[in-house]
Amino acid sequence: MDLTFTPQEEKFRSELRGWLDANIPAAWRDPGFWRTVPDDEGFELRRDWERRKYEAGYGGIAWPTEYGGLGGTPGMKAIYDEEMALARAPLSANGLGLTFLAPTVMAIGTDQQKRDIIGPMLRNEVIWCQGFSEPGAGSDLAALRTSGVLDGDEYVVNGQKIWTTNAMHGDKLFALVRTEQGSEAHRGISMLLIDMHQPGVEARPLRQISGASEFAEVFFTDARVKASECLGGVGNGWKTAMMLLSFERGASGISQYATFRRGYDEIVAAARRLGRDTDPTLRRELASRLVELECLRYHAMHVLTQVEQGRDLGSESSITKLQWSEAYQKLFETFDHLLGLDGVVTSPVEDLDLASLQYEAFWTRSVTIWGGSSQVQRNIVAERVLGLPR
Amino acid sequence: MYFALTDEQRALAETARDYLADRFDLTAVRAVFEDTAGDGHPAELWKAFAEQGWLAVLVPEENDGIGLGLLDAQVLARAFGTGAVPGPWLPTVLAGEAVRLAGSPAQRAAVLGPLAAGELVATVALRAPGGSFDQSGVGVTADAGPGGARLTGTASPVEYAGVARTAVVAAKEPDGGIGLYLVDPASPSVTVTALDTYDGTTRLGGLVLDGATGERLPESNAAVLAELNRRGAVLTAADLVGIARAALTRTIEYDKTRVQFGRPVGGFQVIKHTLADLHVGVLMAEHAVLYAAHAVDAELPDAELAVAVAKAKAGDAAQRATAAMIQYHGGIGYTWEHEAHFFYKRAKRLVATFGDAGEHLDRIAALSIDA
Ligand SMILES: Cc1cc2nc3c(=O)[nH]c(=O)nc-3n(C[C@H](O)[C@H](O)[C@H](O)COP(=O)(O)OP(=O)(O)OC[C@H]3O[C@@H](n4cnc5c(N)ncnc54)[C@H](O)[C@@H]3O)c2cc1C
Repeated sequence: MDLTFTPQEEKFRSELRGWLDANIPAAWRDPGFWRTVPDDEGFELRRDWERRKYEAGYGGIAWPTEYGGLGGTPGMKAIYDEEMALARAPLSANGLGLTFLAPTVMAIGTDQQKRDIIGPMLRNEVIWCQGFSEPGAGSDLAALRTSGVLDGDEYVVNGQKIWTTNAMHGDKLFALVRTEQGSEAHRGISMLLIDMHQPGVEARPLRQISGASEFAEVFFTDARVKASECLGGVGNGWKTAMMLLSFERGASGISQYATFRRGYDEIVAAARRLGRDTDPTLRRELASRLVELECLRYHAMHVLTQVEQGRDLGSESSITKLQWSEAYQKLFETFDHLLGLDGVVTSPVEDLDLASLQYEAFWTRSVTIWGGSSQVQRNIVAERVLGLPR
Repeated sequence: MYFALTDEQRALAETARDYLADRFDLTAVRAVFEDTAGDGHPAELWKAFAEQGWLAVLVPEENDGIGLGLLDAQVLARAFGTGAVPGPWLPTVLAGEAVRLAGSPAQRAAVLGPLAAGELVATVALRAPGGSFDQSGVGVTADAGPGGARLTGTASPVEYAGVARTAVVAAKEPDGGIGLYLVDPASPSVTVTALDTYDGTTRLGGLVLDGATGERLPESNAAVLAELNRRGAVLTAADLVGIARAALTRTIEYDKTRVQFGRPVGGFQVIKHTLADLHVGVLMAEHAVLYAAHAVDAELPDAELAVAVAKAKAGDAAQRATAAMIQYHGGIGYTWEHEAHFFYKRAKRLVATFGDAGEHLDRIAALSIDA
């Protein structure tokens, strides 16, 4: 066992920490800040901040330098994620592009795509959305119906996507489209890179239980996309999507721990303010939540080790997803138990603002749905890890 | 970053697993389990433990041991849990730890060499019935007598009290502190009672001391007792994750082949999802035990928290996995003939040994809420 990072990695940490200290406005560190600015304005702030961060040398941490990345180690990426969480840095405006699309383009994109996509993404000139889910195709993604018909050197796209995160701010979509008419299931699908700023694409916001509208539905009516804007080859969309989703696997648990642990400490602080921190039943419930968070941290170190050793994580990412999402959600169930009726108002006593935690509590209801629901993850673990019959 | 066992540690695990599979499988365990009048201490097995160096892992090299850490020891404890292995390994190793941590050079020489060689079976007696695994749970008091300390009180349950030739007894001292004493259970002022236990993979006894003489470990105090309880908790947690993994693996194997309604029952989604969750839980418990063992070895600042997390998590995983083993075998899982109850009963005992879930959760709460 050696749970330390290398001296170079620690040097990177202290430099990054210094930069974050100097470059995150004090107001932003207030947990309530992002709710005080209008959605559009907040998005632009994040978009701009992230671009400046890239210009300061902190973009694409583990990407090869030829793509504008830093060429860093997996350990540096883990440190980067952790420091961003600890500093309460703004959430990425381009998370889906940076996490999923960019590494896929690096792996299988054409030279033109590599040039066109990666640089502008790093500078946040193009914000990417993931257009996978449809009204009739959620967990069963292969049931998707949105169609693309070739017309000269362009596809004409018709259909609908839904739950599209950031669609109201997005510039382009990487979308799964059925380009072979009459095809079924995994066959005949292509991943098309669709410009959202055209008459045939309309995004309508959807309001979430938290009140925010982070996702939207997207309608395609004879939308057009160049045939060259197909990633991974025509008809290979399913394979491309599976590769793309595999890039979620990393050591993100280390930063998630930092975020969730802060949630735990804030919940404890709120309980103390309301004189509930001595209730023996609730103390044990809180402690059992911390057990799961600590396990997430240990698990993240295990995952990072696997990545550093060059091992294929395979279906292990389903285990990671189950652990973090369930632990996170249950932590906020305890938040409700702990505060009882006082937890239903945003400010039960003077100087105690619970709004951010309440917002987060609603958010945790979504984490067991997106990115593969908990039920789907359990199917994967049972069938692919444990070898139980389908 | 290297969060994993080394090649050597993996090899140790494999050797232990292979030996047990070859030479002390569940048929052998059953023989001990059902021989309720026997001492539960198969001589063959103990000899092998000594020959393989499994009693010497934590004994320093200067005392003829191997001088490894808790991380290595937990590899063995896990293998013993997986095999539901009987014998006084854990109490002997922990008694050795007490002597290593707090004994005089002479005591270390007298105890640790023979212990590492398998010539001395020892045990620890740290708690009174109903007590918790800390200072407050100690039920023996020490008084200064003319010829040394005199110990009076009860410790129970004590693993392999009937076989041990030396017991490390925790006692409250006149100044309010805690001392650890080497006591000979065969001395006339000590009564050893055999306790009837449903877990036939071990033997338990009670120690009643009535002015017994004890040889104090000079460096012992409340902190050493706490350290000993921590080490006991880590090794117990390792045994529990071994149990949990064995219970889960056996259940999966069975449910892949047991057919009802024309299909393997392991294909029913309720069973699949329960077993998937269990796999995640057992895996997390395995990570937690690794981390805790390392945290104690490396004296990390969060070692105390890590030990409590590991014990609570491992206990939970083992309890759920062994209960699932019975449930998802159906009627056969509820029979005496089936091995499910070995794991279930062993887990039930160990879940409460060196602190039950409540005790550890209270500690976690104190460390994270009151700090
Ligand atoms: C906040 C948020 C953001 C999102 N962002 C995006 C995005 O940017 N782009 C995008 O493409 N999608 C996005 N999604 C959509 C997300 O991927 C889907 O919601 C998800 O795949 C589930 O699909 P569904 O909503 O159709 O539910 P369904 O698949 O209809 O599921 C309904 C219920 O049935 C269960 N279920 C389904 N199949 C099985 C099975 N085989 N066995 C057992 N239970 C099953 C599910 O677990 C769920 O509980 C987002 C969703 C949310 C909540």
